[in-house]
Amino acid sequence: MIRIKQLSFAIGSFQINHLDLQVAPGEYFVLLGPTGSGKSILMQCLCGLEKISSGRIYIKGSDVTNVEPRTRNIGYVPQDYALFPHLSVERNIAFGLQARGCRPGKISQSVADIAEMLGIRNLLKRSIYGLSGGEKQRTALARALVTEPEVLLLDEPVSALDEATRQEICGQLRRIQKQLGLSTIHVSHNLEEVFSLADRAAILNQGSLEQVGPLEELLRKPKNEFVARFMRCENIFQAEVIDSHSDGSGTRVKLGNTQLQIPGRNKGKVAFMIRPEDVLVYGEGEKSNADKNCFQARLTGWRDFGSNVMLELDGPVKLIAHLSHSAFDRIKTSGTTVNVVLPPGNICIIGQ
Amino acid sequence: MFSAFCFMFVAVFVVFILALIIADIFYIDKKAVLTVLTSGYIRHALWMSIWTSTTTALLSLLFAVPIGFILSRSKFPGRIFLDVIIDLPIVFPPLVAGLTLLVFFSQTGAGKWLQQDIGIEFVFQPKGIILCQFLVAASFAIRSARTAFDDVDRKFENVALTLGCTRWSSFRRVSLPLAKNGVIAGGILSWARAFGLFGPLLIFVGSFRGRTEVLSTTIFLEQSVGNLEVALAVALLLIFVAIIALIAIRLAGGSAMPTL
Repeated sequence: MIRIKQLSFAIGSFQINHLDLQVAPGEYFVLLGPTGSGKSILMQCLCGLEKISSGRIYIKGSDVTNVEPRTRNIGYVPQDYALFPHLSVERNIAFGLQARGCRPGKISQSVADIAEMLGIRNLLKRSIYGLSGGEKQRTALARALVTEPEVLLLDEPVSALDEATRQEICGQLRRIQKQLGLSTIHVSHNLEEVFSLADRAAILNQGSLEQVGPLEELLRKPKNEFVARFMRCENIFQAEVIDSHSDGSGTRVKLGNTQLQIPGRNKGKVAFMIRPEDVLVYGEGEKSNADKNCFQARLTGWRDFGSNVMLELDGPVKLIAHLSHSAFDRIKTSGTTVNVVLPPGNICIIGQ
Repeated sequence: MFSAFCFMFVAVFVVFILALIIADIFYIDKKAVLTVLTSGYIRHALWMSIWTSTTTALLSLLFAVPIGFILSRSKFPGRIFLDVIIDLPIVFPPLVAGLTLLVFFSQTGAGKWLQQDIGIEFVFQPKGIILCQFLVAASFAIRSARTAFDDVDRKFENVALTLGCTRWSSFRRVSLPLAKNGVIAGGILSWARAFGLFGPLLIFVGSFRGRTEVLSTTIFLEQSVGNLEVALAVALLLIFVAIIALIAIRLAGGSAMPTL
């Protein structure tokens, strides 16, 4: 388990202020954030490579705040892997065991075991030069795991890999992490990695945690606009409340020249969002069963992303919708005017 | 086309140097060669040149590695000033180095205390050759080591720390091996600088036959008494030894090449 309590750190004009975070035993936790948000610095603070100005860091219940990096028992894979270029794959993996003064017999056995587990036994005698990105990644992971760390810290471990290798490595990471039961923090700015790996995730922005929680919560209940946008929700609106149902079943708001029903009781101005994949789009001639939040819009553009199609719609407000190929093919034949439904149940009030 | 253009400069420079050496070879006669090969004084000067410059190079490396590492890794007040002081001997006119050493050891209280009370004599002594060479050559090794450590990404050291290394073992097992080529290049530079040093030696230790004479001062002594052929033959011996030594050091040090 990793527990960060009121951690503060400053370097130049960048600051982390009173950050609290807890990662449960065996949990795969993904730390998300844009470039420069402080993810890598936070990893280095956890490793003891950067001195924090205040706060405490606990690993498996022990306070390691003032403990040297070498005795924190952390498996750390930095960005670009930092494999030692003057050592072979085998000696890179053995490095930590040699530094800890293990017997040569134990070192050979442990290196062989971890190489077997990661499928890199054939690479052991190779030089670091000439390894592919995936091979380097596995070597770095083997080097971090061979010392049997209590926690694993991965700083953008798959960001430099192609899509196919990334998916393969992510699957392997998850499997090994579960097998070893390691609390893991994985730094990333890539949402796909979160979906394939994370038990929980956090979004870091300018040294502060914007939101921590399960993925579903980050996707459907963002605490603020930054989180919503980071989780790739582009349909974010500000609207004036017209009235709220007294039973709390919904609120009517005015958005552009139309009225919408949104969930909950609200007053004054309200910010809300709907994920692009939750926007329902029908062809002009098609009928929907919905009686609320229906309006017509013009299809102004579309982009094919392979797995789905992104539509740009212009109605009372500008909207982005994601549709399957089959749904899009239906709409394409019916012209540029479409019927749009924003199901009230799929609308999320930002900040609630 | 561009490579050919670059090679043109290489060719001009190499041909120029080789032409100078060939001119010397054609100038000397058999008698001068025999003198150089049979003279006990010249053999002694050769030996003095080799062991003093080798000792100086090793001593320079001993200082260069920790100083280069500290300058590369630490930030402290006055670092720029320290940097300038360390580079100063590079821009010293060599004669100034000799004069400064002579004044320090013969005119100042600290110098006299070292020589007379402690008994470590440098002025006009063989030990003075090494001190003089060290003053002039060590900065090259330090500068080269610092550049080499600058080129070693700190992430390697950081990973080593998380893998169980102390600062010392991370330096020994990661930083130093990765900076090895640059450090060796610094050693080569300081050896070459020390091997050919002349002016400051003449001032600080003199050129006493069989005692403080090195090859460069032999050349001066021989040409000052009119033995130009012998002086050139000694010069060719110096060049020959330097070529052999530089090739040997480079082969031993892998791809180490001077970066200054």
